[in-house]
Amino acid sequence: MSLASDTYHLFIRALKKVLRNPILLFFSLLQPIIFLVLFTQLFSKFAAVPGLFPSGITYLEYATPGILLQNGFSSALQSGTSVVDELNSGMLEKMLVTPVNRSAILLGRLLSDAFRVVVQSVIILVLAYILGFDVAAGAGGILVMLVIIAFFGLAWSGISLAIGLRTRSAETVFGIGGFLTFPLLFMSTALVPVSAMPGWMANVSNINPISYAVNAVRGLSLPSSALTGLGLSFPGDILSAFAYIATIAVLTLGATLYLFRKVVT
Amino acid sequence: MSDVISVEGLVVVYSDGTKAVNGIDFGVKEGEFFGFLGPNGAGKSTTIKVLTTLLKRTAGKITVAGFDIEKHPEGIRKVIGVQSQDTVIDPDLTGRENMMLQGHLHQIGGEELKKRVDELLNLVGIADVADRRAGHYSGGMKKRLDLASALVHKPKLLFLDEPTTGLDPQSRAAIWEYLSKLNREEGITIFLTTQYMEEADRLCQRLFIIDQGKIVANGTPESLKREVGADSITMTLENGEAGPETKDRARQVLGRLEGINKIIESDGGLTVYAKNAGLVIADIVRAFDSNKIHLSSVSFASPTLDDVFLQHTGRRIRTEELNTKQATFSRFGAARRPTRQ
Repeated sequence: MSLASDTYHLFIRALKKVLRNPILLFFSLLQPIIFLVLFTQLFSKFAAVPGLFPSGITYLEYATPGILLQNGFSSALQSGTSVVDELNSGMLEKMLVTPVNRSAILLGRLLSDAFRVVVQSVIILVLAYILGFDVAAGAGGILVMLVIIAFFGLAWSGISLAIGLRTRSAETVFGIGGFLTFPLLFMSTALVPVSAMPGWMANVSNINPISYAVNAVRGLSLPSSALTGLGLSFPGDILSAFAYIATIAVLTLGATLYLFRKVVT
Repeated sequence: MSDVISVEGLVVVYSDGTKAVNGIDFGVKEGEFFGFLGPNGAGKSTTIKVLTTLLKRTAGKITVAGFDIEKHPEGIRKVIGVQSQDTVIDPDLTGRENMMLQGHLHQIGGEELKKRVDELLNLVGIADVADRRAGHYSGGMKKRLDLASALVHKPKLLFLDEPTTGLDPQSRAAIWEYLSKLNREEGITIFLTTQYMEEADRLCQRLFIIDQGKIVANGTPESLKREVGADSITMTLENGEAGPETKDRARQVLGRLEGINKIIESDGGLTVYAKNAGLVIADIVRAFDSNKIHLSSVSFASPTLDDVFLQHTGRRIRTEELNTKQATFSRFGAARRPTRQ
């Protein structure tokens, strides 16, 4: 009972903090928007090269799922900074001397992170729609898509939270987050299909969790004709993406919970 | 009546080997205004952290509000209110939202909580800014909000870790006022730590003086001062730049005088204790003069808690140094001191 209500109140608090700092929200959206506009322009002609990209889809249609995931991924990797802030400001201690449910502190934070990613994803989707992107699976598809992106973000925010709890340094969280984002992004199918990669990179991409999540989102957004061209299947890829995300979530959130308990007691 | 807080043999050793608290025992009675007075690093905050379930002790038997600290920390958390040394409020929430959140975390809600929050906002005098973001408040207002949020759930026991450090004189006086009122009218037991003697003197019914993790003296402020048993005479030698050799000579001269109980080295000179300071001062001045010891200034005062500390540890409480003169002559000296952040 207190887990649910404590989580709710802490979720609302975190949400208010996000909404009252719209500048932060704006800047975290800047990067995906630049990606969306510039990359799709820059690479628009590559998509027409036969053999590299499946025929019949534009680069915008190919890359938007990747940009959505990139945004969820890099937002999640920053979520540890808020925990550092709570630790260093004394807010965490202030909560810990109350009877608040310990897990609710973490859950409220994770849920608000997920909510933020969903809001950002909707903004990106609207922008992409204006540029000519569409979701083949319709409104239901968009919902499933948002769920995948949010869960994918949650799974990775565990890593960031663990680093934050361990180092108590926002700089370290930012540094490691930035260090992880780009290699993982470029060595995935987010922006370029495996067929256009050198062999070793294709191998990395095939085990890269971002590729799995992106494939699942593409399974929803692309028409079935394009899916076969990419070697994807619907809904098989969505299920395997969920399995992959769940595995990562168990590992990273487990580690976070362990570290959090250590800090708390 | 049984003790609300009972501490036996508390030891806290940090992982780097620092012994922050080195075997202390004390008890706090219900309804009491109880204080820990000591300089920075004496072990005050560490003790509060242990009592409020934030920090694990190394050894010792502790009960708070009847609960064993090891076995039932959650029982303790329900009945205590805590204000930590650093003001902790959420700058993005309004004052009211800060208070409401604190109430929710204590499982209070609805009309009951709303009423209580209004009441407290009025009590600490921030009702008019309650719906503004707390980040925009002045330092004193933030501190008052922090204090109010520690009271939302009507705690039986209130822990205050240096509640007025860094505050301007008006805010400090206001906080003193609320605290006395809370203790007197609502019967809340208060455990306070401070490095300000005036604060301890004014508020606390019983006082433990703590230094380097050990209790060096305890009693009511009056009895502690009475123990000193004499007025203090503070002398500065050679404009406060006297070397050890001059101080030694001065000691010898003072030792030959009648009516002096105790000679303690203090910054820039010496402090002595005498039953009748007014008479002794004349003797001191004459004796120093004939021995060619350059006496720059001399003052005397009835005993303060600083003298208690000085007698037990041979040092003054560091933070009071800037204003020892003012403090020795005025009971409210600290209230007029410019704030240092």
